[in-house]
Amino acid sequence: MKIPQEVYSIAEDIKTMRIRGASRIARAAANALKIAAQQFKEGNRNDFYKYIIRVSEILRNTRPTAVSLPNAISYVLSRFKREYDRGSDLEELKNVIITAADNFIKYSKNATKKIGEIGARRIVNGDTILTHCNSAAALSVIITAFKEGKDIKVFATETRPRYQGYITVRVLSREGIDVTLIPDSAVRFIMKKIDKVIVGADAVAANGAVVNKIGTSLIALAAHEARVNFFVAAETYKFSPMTVIGEVIEIEERSPLEVVSEDFLKSVKHVIIRNPAFDVTPPEYIDAIITEKGLIPPQAAIIVLKEEYGYALEDLMTKAIARVEESEEFLI
Amino acid sequence: MIIEKFPNALKVLDDIKYGRIQSATEATLSIVEEAINVIFKVQDIELIKGFIKEYFTQAIKARPANALLINILRKLLENIREPLLQGDLYTLRENITNSFRELKSNIERINELVAHFAVRRIEYGDTILTNSYSTTVITALKKAKQLGKNIRVFIAESRPGLEGLKAAKELDEAGIPVTLFVDSAVRYFMKEVDKVFVGAEAIAANGAVVSKVGTSLIALAAHEARVNVFVLASTLKFSPETIFGQLVELLEKEPESLVSKEKMKELGKVKIKVPIFDVTPPEYIDAIITEKGLIAPQAITLVIREIYGWPFRVTAIKELLGEEI
Repeated sequence: MKIPQEVYSIAEDIKTMRIRGASRIARAAANALKIAAQQFKEGNRNDFYKYIIRVSEILRNTRPTAVSLPNAISYVLSRFKREYDRGSDLEELKNVIITAADNFIKYSKNATKKIGEIGARRIVNGDTILTHCNSAAALSVIITAFKEGKDIKVFATETRPRYQGYITVRVLSREGIDVTLIPDSAVRFIMKKIDKVIVGADAVAANGAVVNKIGTSLIALAAHEARVNFFVAAETYKFSPMTVIGEVIEIEERSPLEVVSEDFLKSVKHVIIRNPAFDVTPPEYIDAIITEKGLIPPQAAIIVLKEEYGYALEDLMTKAIARVEESEEFLI
Repeated sequence: MIIEKFPNALKVLDDIKYGRIQSATEATLSIVEEAINVIFKVQDIELIKGFIKEYFTQAIKARPANALLINILRKLLENIREPLLQGDLYTLRENITNSFRELKSNIERINELVAHFAVRRIEYGDTILTNSYSTTVITALKKAKQLGKNIRVFIAESRPGLEGLKAAKELDEAGIPVTLFVDSAVRYFMKEVDKVFVGAEAIAANGAVVSKVGTSLIALAAHEARVNVFVLASTLKFSPETIFGQLVELLEKEPESLVSKEKMKELGKVKIKVPIFDVTPPEYIDAIITEKGLIAPQAITLVIREIYGWPFRVTAIKELLGEEI
């Protein structure tokens, strides 16, 4: 079973963050599945099944936190498995993967645009907006509002350790938007000038808690203190079905070298560097989540999960219940 | 400008202005040390007068929120005023050396006292979060280690300036286990923290504390998690000017301190705002630990009354600089 080199290089790019951003990662994974299907040469439909599962595993193991990644894979795989169970032949199965991947990519791009349109309605003339990191969904809201002729100002954080804020300010300044870069530590200092905060999300949990770039929860807290509205822009494929059955979203900790130099690390004995890539913002600090299906209060995340992942959820739930019933604790 | 004849003095001014010397104590000491260097090199008393006036004025402009600096310069000026006016170079040199020696040992003694009181609030096995580089906080943490309190220290790297790295190195040398992370991760780690210790640039009349930017965010996150926040600061950090309604001026750094010039070209038409200090409101501070003991921030005026009397009697530094010299 030979996995195409292209699949490996996409996986590597996701891992090293050459491909970053929850939606871009999801589309890259869908695209990798499509490439894998197109390039499958030797074997029958059973070999193809094993091959696709293997490719999915490689892609799934790149980044642990972004839920969009497994969701994109499930989007393609659930359609594929249905066809497989029906007994479709190899060519049909390849086509299912290719079509599902294309559909997902199209849906994803459209969703970001739709979020922009819905979110922009919440922005009024004269608003000063704070954003964190580099979120395509959040930028879609800001840019749409600006193109509608709203006179807005944006503050963007640097976003240590990898400075994704620099990308954000470059994109916004190219659009002609008045944008100011600030260090992450200055968000409370600046909060009094802010009318709205808009950030993206890497994952939304069943209770409406939002996992996003480290620092987001601190901004939400400072916004809450200053009574500034806090919006999260997130496509529905960022909602995590696994959290419904109690799974915790794993927070990825990345290399110390993203924070300090190798020289610094060598010069100290008792210092450890911790580099969590994400944090969790509790739902009570979030005024609304802007999805492509509409604006919802974070506590209503379960509705999105039931509507979008009903089928998968039932499956997860059945398996989870079966596991509990088998276990000894349950008998006691 | 007279001051342009003294490149070393200009360098010190630059260092304290752009935060290469961030610590309020270190900034103050280096300003005074350089003043003494000049006074001992120059023979012309008129030149010294002109220099002192320009140099001290610029120093305050460079760090307008640094209450320690203003308070120390005020004391120095009071001590050297007479010989300066009379043109008595010998007494001038003697007075400034003596009062500096006294001030320095006083600052060290006060630091020790503050650290001594602070250590009593540290329990065995505590995890203490701090940011930036505070001489007083470092002294306290080292003392806790010496007393065998087995502490662990969390440090935010503290951009802009990254003084957190300097603090981490110094604690590392003292054998204290340190965990360092980016500034935005302070809420992520707050649940693991037992106490927050921070230094101060200035304390205002209402007990609000001016400190390295990000401190108010840490205090807010600590408040949310019900973690105690202690500010370690001598009463010399109190800003008497604020009693008379003066606002503490919060300086900002030049954009280049955050983003390199090349990077800026890449970014296009982007504004860059780099505050160095922020204000932590008294309600997020559990206590200010001074050399006169531990007090509620709102009660700071009580301690200050002992120093400046009631009603407060303070000569404005501008008056000392502008008219007497």
